Amino acid sequence: MFIGSALIQAQDISQLTAQCAGNAGEVMYLKDFPVKLDQGTPGGAPPTARFALLLNKSIVYRFSICTAPNSEGEAVLQLFDLSTLLGSTFINATGKTYPSFDFKCQKTGVYHVFISFKEGKAGEGVGVMSYVKKL
Amino acid sequence: MPKVLTFLLIMLALVVSSCKSHEKGNASAEIPDSVLNEGVEISEEVMQDIVQNISSPVEMAAMIKDLGVPFSNKYISSTDRVGNLTTSFQQSLNLGIYAADLGYLNMYNKTSAVVDYLTAIKSLSDAIKVGQFFDFTTLKRLATNSKNLDSLMYISVHSFNQMDKYLHSNNRTNLSALMVTGVWIEGLYLGTQVYKVTPNEALAERIGEQKLTLEQLMLILDKYQRDKQYTRLLEELKLLKDLFASVNIYVKKGEPQMVEVDGMLTIVGGDVSVVEVTPELLTNIITTTEQVRNRLISL
Repeated sequence: MFIGSALIQAQDISQLTAQCAGNAGEVMYLKDFPVKLDQGTPGGAPPTARFALLLNKSIVYRFSICTAPNSEGEAVLQLFDLSTLLGSTFINATGKTYPSFDFKCQKTGVYHVFISFKEGKAGEGVGVMSYVKKL
Repeated sequence: MPKVLTFLLIMLALVVSSCKSHEKGNASAEIPDSVLNEGVEISEEVMQDIVQNISSPVEMAAMIKDLGVPFSNKYISSTDRVGNLTTSFQQSLNLGIYAADLGYLNMYNKTSAVVDYLTAIKSLSDAIKVGQFFDFTTLKRLATNSKNLDSLMYISVHSFNQMDKYLHSNNRTNLSALMVTGVWIEGLYLGTQVYKVTPNEALAERIGEQKLTLEQLMLILDKYQRDKQYTRLLEELKLLKDLFASVNIYVKKGEPQMVEVDGMLTIVGGDVSVVEVTPELLTNIITTTEQVRNRLISL
């Protein structure tokens, strides 16, 4: 029963990944970041999944985020260079949410993708990184 | 009594002989993955920091295509060798090499050659027991129609990523490291071979930047040098590392910019990396990469 349930979940996330990569536009899929997080504690920082990436200079990457249909919270993807927030699919100041953003990389190095769910809710989703073009 | 003694002596001789032949057999045998991964003190978090996207099977090929460089089958490794790859070390390393070649073929829509590479990858992935992530039937069907390029590309790269994740979660990180090394060396080989024919500043910079990736790779592989095959691999990579040591990379600091055009958000990274690599050094890197790559595919 547990194995069956785990298998269905794996299929679901796999379908979501394919869908998310397909919706990213005329780009080439490179990597996905599946995430399933529990609800955060009241007053605490929202649970966050972190992934390290090596990005290359002169390449435009697209970062997309997709939330699973059964997810309680809405997924947010953020890109960091060390402690500097470079981009996010949710802009706090405007309250606007974007399905993806492009990153024009000018420095080869290790960056970090953070995925969390709005208001620290529990949730499931996937982030997708794609190759857009060479600058 | 003498009969019993003779019997015991014969048995002892047989046991000693058996032990000796066993030792001889093991001299060239692989250390099992489970044993090799024992005591490797790298946390999963640190491992992820190192390995994630360290080398993509398609990124170098995509860049070369974007530069307008025509396809050449001289840059890819022959699949005739697959039958000779018998150890999990060889199979994993070459799985990465063929994955990079498949990315290059897919990028240029060379579907007629793709099937050979799919077959090679299927065979090697089955051998190291990650074949369940490689949907050979679907990929083969997609490869017969050039209109399916996007799907073919997605499933190929996704399968590779799935194999990598599975190896990580099953305490076979050494094989994952070998796959990534295979992808990396074939990508570097492709980049340097293209540079020889079509010198290009962007490509020179990309080649020089491989200093960073190589450092990360060697950090991982170093953990497995108990196995002679890994030691040999590290020796080969060190030849490149010594050359890359003379590549100068520095960063010009800057502020990131965010713009929204037609609802699409674009971020321009603030910091700019600068890679300095002299023509002489580049020539040495190209020559050594060719030698190392050709030795690695025959390891």
